[in-house]
Amino acid sequence: MTNNLQKKERTAVSSNPILAVENLSKSYGDLRILKDVSVAIEAGDFLVLVGPSGCGKSTLLGCIGGLTEITSGNIQIDGQDVTHTDPAKRDIAMVFQSYALFPNMSVGDNIGFGLEVRKVPKTERDEKVNQVAELLKIEPLLDRAPAQLSGGQRQRVAMGRALVRDPKLFLFDEPLSNLDAKLRVTMRTEIKRLHQRLNASIIYVTHDQIEAMTLATKIVVMKDGVIQQVGSPREIYDTPANIFVADFMGSPAMNILDADVTMDGLMARVEIAREDGQEPLILYDTNPGEGITSRPAGPLKVGLRPEALTDLGSRSVNADQQFDCLLDVVEPAGSDTFAVIRLGGTEVTARMHGDVDVNSGDTVPICFDLTKISYFDPKSGERL
Amino acid sequence: MHRSLIASFALYSAALLLTLFTLAPLVWLVLMSISSPNDLTSVPLNWWPTEVDLSRYGHLVDLNNGAGHRFLAALRNSLLTAGGATLIALIVAVPAAYAFSRRGASLALLFVFLATIMMPPITYVLPLYEIFGGLGALNKTTTLIIVYSAMLLPFATWLMKSNIDVLPVEIEQAAFMEGASTAFTLRRVVLPLALPAIAATCMLSFLVAWDEFFYALIFTSDLSAKTLPVAIADFSAGRVTDYGVIASVGVLATLPPAILAICFQRFIVSGLAAGSVKG
Repeated sequence: MTNNLQKKERTAVSSNPILAVENLSKSYGDLRILKDVSVAIEAGDFLVLVGPSGCGKSTLLGCIGGLTEITSGNIQIDGQDVTHTDPAKRDIAMVFQSYALFPNMSVGDNIGFGLEVRKVPKTERDEKVNQVAELLKIEPLLDRAPAQLSGGQRQRVAMGRALVRDPKLFLFDEPLSNLDAKLRVTMRTEIKRLHQRLNASIIYVTHDQIEAMTLATKIVVMKDGVIQQVGSPREIYDTPANIFVADFMGSPAMNILDADVTMDGLMARVEIAREDGQEPLILYDTNPGEGITSRPAGPLKVGLRPEALTDLGSRSVNADQQFDCLLDVVEPAGSDTFAVIRLGGTEVTARMHGDVDVNSGDTVPICFDLTKISYFDPKSGERL
Repeated sequence: MHRSLIASFALYSAALLLTLFTLAPLVWLVLMSISSPNDLTSVPLNWWPTEVDLSRYGHLVDLNNGAGHRFLAALRNSLLTAGGATLIALIVAVPAAYAFSRRGASLALLFVFLATIMMPPITYVLPLYEIFGGLGALNKTTTLIIVYSAMLLPFATWLMKSNIDVLPVEIEQAAFMEGASTAFTLRRVVLPLALPAIAATCMLSFLVAWDEFFYALIFTSDLSAKTLPVAIADFSAGRVTDYGVIASVGVLATLPPAILAICFQRFIVSGLAAGSVKG
C-alpha cells in the first residue's frame, strides 16, 4: 500500500493530467452522440459525468475505457496517447452498471481475475484479494458464487475487482442505479470514503444529480452530447452556466422566472409579475455582476434556488425583501417544508423550515434572498 | 394457474398423442429385435412376441461365429467418424461463432457457409469422389471425418453464434477491462457461460454425423471404414432378410447417442448466466 501511495504522489506532482480528452466526437452514421468533447482531470480527482438519459455520458465513458471506437479526437491517459489502444492495455478498471461479474467464478476469483490475467502467483493474489475483501467487508463471501449474492454485495464485488490491482484510472458506469434507495445512500458514502482513502482518480457516470453533488470534486454536466458546464459542485450549484444546468442540478430544481431587470443606482431592480392583478414583486440585488450592470434594461430569466425563498425563521436575510405570498401547495419533507407559490407566470418552490406551521391556501410572508440570484439570457438561456 | 377440466383433458390427450407418436416406432423396433422370426413373418402379424428371443444380440456381439466382427467394426468406425467430426466442428465453430457474433465478421460469409448445406449431398458426391479417389483417400475413416466436419461446421457455427449473441456482452467487456486477451476471455469467461450451447451443438452435430448414410455409402467399401447406417443396410441385403437382426442393430445403434444425450442433459440447463448481471 505504501508503494501505491508513493506512486499516487508522484503522479500528483507531475503536471500531466491523469486523463485528457481532446475534441472527442462519436457518431453512429449520421447520429452524432458526442460533439467535440474536451475534458481533463488531475490525479486524485473524482470527476462525475452527469446528464439526462441519452446525453452521451455513458458513451463518453465507453470511449475513455476503449470499449467504444471514437470517430475523431484523442484520449491521453497519464501522458500516453491511448486513442487506439485496446482496453486491456489502458491500465484502467471499470465498474459496470450491471456489475458484469463472472457467474462461473467464485467471488474471490472474480476479484482476483485481473491478477490472474497478469500471472500474479496464487499466494500473492490471495493476499491482495483478502486485503480488498477486508476493505469492502466482504471477506465471508469470497467462496460464494455471484448468483448467491444480494445486489449490494454484488456491487461490492464489482468494486473489489476494480480496486485489487491499483489501476491509473477508475471508471464507474451508474454503479448505484440498480440498488434500492437506502442502500444507494450507504454505498455512496462508502465510495466517497474509498476515494478519500485511496486518493484514486475516478470518472463516475450518473444521471442522479445528488450523487454528482455529493461525490464529485469536479462535475461535468452534459446534454445532447455537448458539455454544458465543468466545475466544482459549488460552482455548478451557485453559478450554473445556463438554464439547463440550473434546472438539472439541485433538488427541488432552481426556480426560473421571467423578470424585468433595470439598474437602480448600483443595485439591480428585479420586477416579477404576480397573478390576479396583484402588485408586482420588486426585489433588489445589491451586488449585480458585470453582465447585468452593462446590459440595457429589459426582460430576463432569473434563477432563484428554493432556499432563497423562505419563511422568516432565523435566517440572515434582508428583512426588506419580504412579501406576503399565497401558498398553493405545502409539502412537508421532515427537515424542510416545501411550498409551491405562483410567481412570474410559473410555479416556484420555496424552502421553509421543517417546523413551520403552514397549510395549503395560507398567505404568509416570504423572504427573498438575492445574494445568489442567477440571470439568464431569455433567448439563449446562457448565464449573464 | 387454474385450468378447467376440459383444458386439462385436451392438454393430456395432446401430450399422450405426442408420446405415442414419438415412442411407437422405437417400441416396435425393440419388440422386433426380441421377437422370433416366426412371429415376424406370420400372417396376420404377431404384434406381441410369443417368446423373448435375445439370440440376435448375442449373434451381433459374438466375435467367433456370429456377426460380431462386422457389427463392432462398424460401431468403432461410427464412433470415430461422428466423434472426430464433432470435435473438429466444435473446435473451429466456437471461435468462428465468436468472430461473427462479437467482432463484426461479415454475416454474408456465414450465409454462404449455410448455403453449402442447403445443397443436396448428391451434387457434392461426384466431385468429392473424384478428388478423394485421386488422392487415394477413399474407404478411410479420415476421409469421412473431413466430409462430415465440412457438413457440420456451418450449422454448428450458426448455432453457437445465436447462443453467444444472447450472452451479456458486458461480462466480456469486464474481462477485457481487467486486461484479458480475447483467447483468455474466450476460454475463461465465454466458454463456461456457453457450456449449455456447446453441449447442445455437440449433441446435434454428433447425431447428424452418426445418422449420415449417403456419403458413407459412397465413400466406404469394407469393414475398415463402413459406419453403422451402412452396416445396417448390409444386414438387410443378404439372401434372406431377418428383420429382427436389423432391428437389433438399430437398437444398439441408438444407444451411443442416447447415452450422450443423457450425459449432457445436466449441462443443458438454463440460467447458468444468472447472477452475473442485475438480478
